[in-house]
Amino acid sequence: MATIAPSRPVTQRIADGKSLSKALYPWRRRLWVQQMLHWTGTGLIVGIILACLLLLISRLIPWASAPSWATALGMACLLCSLGVALWYRPSFNRTARLVDGRLTLHDRLSTAWELRDESAPLITLQRRDALNQLGKHTPVTAVSLRPRRSFLLLFAVVVIALALLVFLPNPMTAVLQQQAALQARIARQVADINRIRQLIDSQTTTSAQERAQIDKILRDAAAQLQNARNEAQAQQIIAQAQAKLNQLRDLQAANKAQAQAAASSALQNSSNSNLSSAGRALANGDGKGLDAALQKLASQVNGMTPAQRAQLAQQLEQAANQASQNPQLSSALHQLAKAVADGSPSEVSDAVKAVEAASAQDTTNQANASSIDQASQTLQNVANTLAASTDGTSGQAQNQGQGQTSGQGQTPGQGQNPGQGQNQGQGQGQGQGQGQGQGQGQNQGHGQGTNGAGGANGSGNQAGKTEQVYVPGQVGAGTSTITGNGNNGVVQPGSPVPYSQVIAAYNQMAHDAIDNSDIPPDEKDLVQNYFNTLEGQH
Amino acid sequence: MASKSEHPAINGEQSAWGADSEVEGRFIAPPPQEAETEAAIEEVRTQNRDEGPSETDIASFMDIAQQLEDELNSIVVGQERVIRELLLALLAGGHVLLEGVPGLGKTLLVHTLSDALALKFARIQFTPDLMPADIVGTTIVSEQSDNNATGSKRVFSFQPGPIFANIVLADEVNRATPKTQSALLEGMQERTVSVGDTTRPLPSPFFVLATQNPLEMEGTYPLPEAQLDRFLFKVLVRFPNANDLMRIIDTTVGTQTYRAKEVASGKQLLHLIATARAVPVATHVKEYAVRLLLATHPDHEDAPEKVHKFVRYGASPRGLQAIIMTGKVRALLEGRYNVSLEDLQNVAFPALRHRIILNFDGLADGVTSEELIEAIIEETETQ
Repeated sequence: MATIAPSRPVTQRIADGKSLSKALYPWRRRLWVQQMLHWTGTGLIVGIILACLLLLISRLIPWASAPSWATALGMACLLCSLGVALWYRPSFNRTARLVDGRLTLHDRLSTAWELRDESAPLITLQRRDALNQLGKHTPVTAVSLRPRRSFLLLFAVVVIALALLVFLPNPMTAVLQQQAALQARIARQVADINRIRQLIDSQTTTSAQERAQIDKILRDAAAQLQNARNEAQAQQIIAQAQAKLNQLRDLQAANKAQAQAAASSALQNSSNSNLSSAGRALANGDGKGLDAALQKLASQVNGMTPAQRAQLAQQLEQAANQASQNPQLSSALHQLAKAVADGSPSEVSDAVKAVEAASAQDTTNQANASSIDQASQTLQNVANTLAASTDGTSGQAQNQGQGQTSGQGQTPGQGQNPGQGQNQGQGQGQGQGQGQGQGQGQNQGHGQGTNGAGGANGSGNQAGKTEQVYVPGQVGAGTSTITGNGNNGVVQPGSPVPYSQVIAAYNQMAHDAIDNSDIPPDEKDLVQNYFNTLEGQH
Repeated sequence: MASKSEHPAINGEQSAWGADSEVEGRFIAPPPQEAETEAAIEEVRTQNRDEGPSETDIASFMDIAQQLEDELNSIVVGQERVIRELLLALLAGGHVLLEGVPGLGKTLLVHTLSDALALKFARIQFTPDLMPADIVGTTIVSEQSDNNATGSKRVFSFQPGPIFANIVLADEVNRATPKTQSALLEGMQERTVSVGDTTRPLPSPFFVLATQNPLEMEGTYPLPEAQLDRFLFKVLVRFPNANDLMRIIDTTVGTQTYRAKEVASGKQLLHLIATARAVPVATHVKEYAVRLLLATHPDHEDAPEKVHKFVRYGASPRGLQAIIMTGKVRALLEGRYNVSLEDLQNVAFPALRHRIILNFDGLADGVTSEELIEAIIEETETQ
């Protein structure tokens, strides 16, 4: 039974209500501090656990910003928990409930707090009883700020885990470095592409439509390259851009240039000085010279005899026949020959204009082809540079004097590893007429180098074609040098292997596969016959 | 009307009022003693309305309750828990259903209680042939001499039954028919008895302490839920342990006969009841009591799984009143001036066990109300 306290005056009873809040205040502050410590500690542990998870994920997938995210997440959890602890400061009512629970006061304090404004004798007695019971304890002893052992243990575990994840080498770091290096290389190559864009844009000899198309292709390629995630994707983007550029090419450009060169040569051999001058002007792409020479020729025709005109017409006919691969030029020359033969000044004048137009068109076509070649060569250089850097080999692309380009690519590691043979094959180059080194390597260990562009000057020095075949796992050494119009492209990507060896190797592999029962029985004969057929072709 | 009952089972003393004459249809005023008691209650109520019981009242409550408990414990050996629960119900002004095998001192306990409180005691032994009139009383025809005339005249007069006592022991209440059991209903709830067209108040304080035997189920009539609900507590009287049996030997089979001394009067008891009602209850404690009660209902979402599975009907609002009222008394008996959650948990067992009606699965699986209440307390949030 409780001891009944003596009655006290009413003023004292009222004072009890205030003294209750006064008595609860240190408890409230202590509980608040404890709550802050608890929440902050909990938030810290949760933050560390989340940070550990992020760091763990960053060890499985390349994630460059994972440490930053982990730090931010840990700090966010810590700050959130601290904010919550500060925001949810325990009220007096909650403090009374908590203290009731901690001190086993049987709801004395919470009841007293709820009825703090009442002054009935029993309520006053109850309040006094609650204060007496509360007075037997102090906040410092009753509300401990020391964390529990389980809490400390958990904290230690997560800190150790975090330390391990932070300080142990991350296998993804190398991958990230490679990606960063690739991005840096790509950035440099994108700068090169932008430079060639500006260069092509400044070339007035190229038609505006052609320049716009080339610029668009290069711009798109540069944008896609900046988003490329790996070297293979970058190579694919470059290959696609090159394919688009190739679509812009005039397939008959080489023939036309050859025909023009032949026609100009024929004209230069003429005994007529004006016609010879016209041939030189045509060969040099000199529009004004051609115009002047043809005007002179037109004037000269008026004073010629029919026999002289016939001879001159014959020479023109020969030149026209030489330019048969260039229909426009050939037609203009035929027209001029006919007009000269007829001796009609007006017809001669029209024919002269036609020849000039054909020459101008050829000049524009050649300029377009030159721009495409420059763009394509730049892309090839980019591809070579990326491939060489990725493989740890050296690669270089050099621009040499007189606006001519020589390309060189070295990928000596290719084709040496059978396991890599199916995914590689680059660095092949061809020397084109303008000296671009260009080449593509395809999968399956075969390569092809094409070179078909004639020289811009139409000198007739055509680059030949070559085919290079690479066999996975076969090491060889050799170079392929293609020379065209004074330009050269040297490619040392691997080793050309004779066709017979390739077929023999594949045949042997097929036999082995058949022997090892890797091929279904009903298809063994089919495979066998296929390789027999190849051997027969050889 | 039946004549006055001669039933041997009714061995209670004469009614507090005796056989008062009446004219049918006219209400008979309570006797002076009852009027005194009513005045005492009104006095306490008025005081409570003003500013509640004084500190002296509270000290008196604790003192008398302690003496009463000590006195009962000195006579009834080994039933401390039963005595405590009986006191809780008594000081809360409620009726008690005592369940236990014969010979455990149930009747002795009630007798001792009436001795200690100096209250009128009546015992009714319930049997299958007991009639309602045997409990509430009846109107009889009696000869009354006429002073002005030579002869006498016959008048109807009401002969009160044994229910007109302060403490009524309804022994083996489940052996009477439901019709007879229902004779207690009005008295227990309204504290009045209606015979014919006349309603008579019962003496105050009025307590029904009923006992029932859990073993002899043959020929018994289980109390209907409506009547069970009117008992504030259902107290289980368990068999005493070896030490208590030794004490029983010392106190009961010797040459001395112990009898409880008077501790309080009926008027004081009413003061105690009124005082207990003034004990404050915090809101969160009330909310907890509500949650406890709701958790006894199988269709309530927060009820434990066991309740969902085994309970047919949960406790009525009377159960909530019982928990709070007896919780207040327990707080004072524990020396506190406020009701705590622990008080509610403690009184939940006797207050709710007879109010939880098991379904077929519960009965078939032998689930007890105690298990369910334990689960309810365990799963009900205290915050």
